[in-house]
Formats: sequence, structure tokens, C-alpha cells
Amino acid sequence: MIILALDALDLNLVKKFECQTLMQKECGQTDISNFNLERTVVLWASFLAGKNMETKIPLKTQWEFKLSTEETFLHFFKTYKAIDVPAFSFKQDHAEERKFLKNYFDDKSAIEEYDAAVWKIHDENKKEFLASIGKSDLVIGYFNLADAIGHLSFGIIQKMKDVYSELEGLAKETRNSDDFILVISDHGMKAIGRYGDHTKSGFYSTNKKLGLNLPKITDFYNLVRSLGNVA
Amino acid sequence: MSENGGIRQNLQQLERRSIAIIREAKAQFKNIACLWSTGKDSTATVWLCKKAFFGKIPFPVIHIDTSFKFPQIYEFRDKIAKEWGFKLVIAKNEDALEQGMSPKTGRLDCCTQLKTEALKNLLRKEEYDALILAIRRDEHGIRAKERYYSPRDERFRWNYADQPAEMWDLYVKPSEDFSHMRVHPILHWTELNVWQYVQQEKLPINPLYFAKQGQRYRSLGCMPCTVPIPSEADTIEKIVQELATSKTPERAGRSQDKEKAYMMQKLRSLGYM
Repeated sequence: MIILALDALDLNLVKKFECQTLMQKECGQTDISNFNLERTVVLWASFLAGKNMETKIPLKTQWEFKLSTEETFLHFFKTYKAIDVPAFSFKQDHAEERKFLKNYFDDKSAIEEYDAAVWKIHDENKKEFLASIGKSDLVIGYFNLADAIGHLSFGIIQKMKDVYSELEGLAKETRNSDDFILVISDHGMKAIGRYGDHTKSGFYSTNKKLGLNLPKITDFYNLVRSLGNVA
Repeated sequence: MSENGGIRQNLQQLERRSIAIIREAKAQFKNIACLWSTGKDSTATVWLCKKAFFGKIPFPVIHIDTSFKFPQIYEFRDKIAKEWGFKLVIAKNEDALEQGMSPKTGRLDCCTQLKTEALKNLLRKEEYDALILAIRRDEHGIRAKERYYSPRDERFRWNYADQPAEMWDLYVKPSEDFSHMRVHPILHWTELNVWQYVQQEKLPINPLYFAKQGQRYRSLGCMPCTVPIPSEADTIEKIVQELATSKTPERAGRSQDKEKAYMMQKLRSLGYM
């Protein structure tokens, strides 16, 4: 099984930029209306654990928060590879990106510096992710490109088109696998001038018709378990 | 030295450097032009260009017309262009306007299409290799990283990490890898310097800058995206006094800055910072 965990992938933009591969055979929105805030770590932790983790993850220390394997659906798989997944294997490298984000708002950095830091992590994760396919029962790769670039540039259509084109390319390279593929995002995004803000609608797509109807992000816990042909 | 004498001497130094940069740029580039929004900074810059070449500006002055600007801007533009006798070139993205582009269809897209694309089209058509712009380091933190000569590629991108060195006031044109050069002759000025210069040179100024019924514009943009600030400054003297004590950023009336403030708060609430 392969899970492409794409932060802030938005159904409207997937359709607008005609990202056919990301849409796969079935796609739609996920419902995260039962969360007070669309916090990245909380939503991915809830996806992994199959339950709402909002009250268990303090805001201030959220990036350091880690679930044990036993608390997640990963433990159903004999072998797994989880690349940069928030609340599980999130990398320290993102601190650099958040430093540039803060500097941008303090007028100390240009957006270009921030973007470069985001793309650097993306490229590293992409390399690791593609090299891992076929080597474990479950490969889950997290990519925050759409979220990180979107926060400062969601209103710039050409820039977001480049981001979605990159993610579509990533999905195309993943598609060659015979495994079940789930593409999932934590939340969507909407424009605030040039910037991007989280929305309450996430995204999912699968390479098999499942007939899901506005699933909750926590519903995927059992789905992954059953589709992974595991105990 | 009296306070006024100090100001005059400071302005003289600022002016000298700006004029040297303008002359240097004219000598180095084949096809140069100056951007003019009709605001105080660019009007002062056009004036510096006039002084640099003894009253006759030897290159065109470009005004980007979004068609959403204040009527006072158009009146001021046409009046000054006629009085100062320079060649005025108007850049307008007619295609985007015909397709209904406006701030209502999205402010950023509107800015991109009606300002950036309009200028790109004109640059392609007229093949300008350098543009004089009236940006200042004190306007924004990012602008503090700018140089007097700032190369741009064909997509108008600025590589802040790879800019020409400007030591000992030597402004060197890089030999390759740029589509056009941005030249910033008033980069070292402050907002207050500009107003003091306007006062000293008795420059004509857009009436929108002066307070009416307790409000005035501190920065001029398009009508739907610019709001006035509370102020009683209805003369240049009062504006200079107001700026000496103001703690509000110059562009506080611009929508983009409000959106930036909102986004910073939101990202903090989500734990990004």
C-alpha cells in the first residue's frame, strides 16, 4: 500500500489544474468539521490513530508530538516506511522553513528564501519516497509543498500551478506501482489576497472505486487496515 | 548649524548621489525609462531625472494605468507631463481589462495582470534594458535588501542572493544573465526625506496626500485597494511634522498589508510560528 499524504491539497485546485493522476479512480472531499482548528499535526495524528487527537496535542509543542507505532494503523503492517509524517516521523529540517516564515513576517526574509527552503525538503522527501516504493508493505510519504508554498502564495495562480504540477508528477511516478494508492490531504486552502488559509475540507483519492461519501479523516484508519489485507 | 541648514545639507547629499546614479544608468544602458505612479516618491524621482539632465529628460516616463486609479491621479499625470515636457508612455493591459479583470475578480490577479503584465508587455515591445524606480529601503524590510542596480530575469524575478556588489559607490552592470535592470536612485532616502525634498524644491504633489475631513492618503494605489489614514495634515509642513512623530507604517492603508497581518495571526494560531 502507498499513501501520498499531501498537506493542504485542495480539490478545487486539483480540478482547476486538471491533475488527472491525483484524482485517480475516485476522489472527493473529506470532512474535518469536527475539529475546532485545522491544525496540521492534529489532523495527521488523527488520520494515523483513527480518532480525534485535538485535545491531546498542545499547540506550543505540537511539532515535537509523536505517536508510538502501536497507536497508529502502521502497526498492522509487517514492514512500513513513514517519511516525514507529522506526529510520527516529522523531520527537524522543517525548523529552517518555519524560521524563514517567521522572518518573512518580521520583514527579515524574502518569500524566495522561504520557498527555497520548502522546495529543498520536498525534493529530499521525494527522492526518499520514490526509492522506498516496493520495499515495504506500506509506504507513506508526507509532502507539505502545497501547504507551505500556499500559505504565502496561494493567490498567485502560476506559482500554485507549478506546485500542483509537481505533485501531479509525483503521483504519476507513484502510479506505476500495483499497490493500493491513497492520496490524502489534511485540509484544503482558500485565498486571502496573495496568502492562503486553511479550509475545513480535505481531499482524498483512491485507485480503486470505494464509493466513499464525504468520509471523515479518522475513517481511513479502518479503511487502511482492511484494504491493506492485514490483521 | 541650524536645523534647517542640516536638513538642506542632508538633502543636498541625497540628491547628489541620486543624480549620479541616474546619470550613470543613462550612460550604461541603451534603452532606459523611468516608472512614474504620480505618487510623491516617483514624482521626486522624475524631478531628479529632470535635474540630472538640466531640465530635459532624455528617456520616456512610463505610467502603468490599471484604469482603477483615482481621477486625481490621471489629472495630475496629464498636467505634470505637459508642464515638465517629458515623453509619457502609458502601459495598459487592454486584453485583461476587456476580459473583465478587476479587484473584484481577485486582488492579486488584478495586480498581476493590470500592473506586472502591462509592464512586461511594454518591456517586450519597447525592449527597455533598464527601468528607473522610486523604491526606498525604509518602505519595507525586504526592500532593505535591494541594491541601486537590481537585475531582473525575463519573468521579473529578483535573485536577492546574487546581486552585483556596490562597493565605493560603483554601480556595475552585470555582463549577462539579466533581462532588464532595475535602477533605484532614491533607495537611500526615507519617507521624511522625500517630503522634506518636496517642500524644499516646491514640487507639485497629488492633492490626495492632503487631509480633507480628517483623512488623507499616505500611499497612493488603486481606488478599491487603498484606504486613507486619519490625519489633519493639509499642508506639506504639517505632513512633515506628522511623519516626525508617526509610528504607523507608510503602507498601512494598503489591502495587501492588512492581509499579511491577518495571515501572520492565523499562522500563529495554527502553531506555525
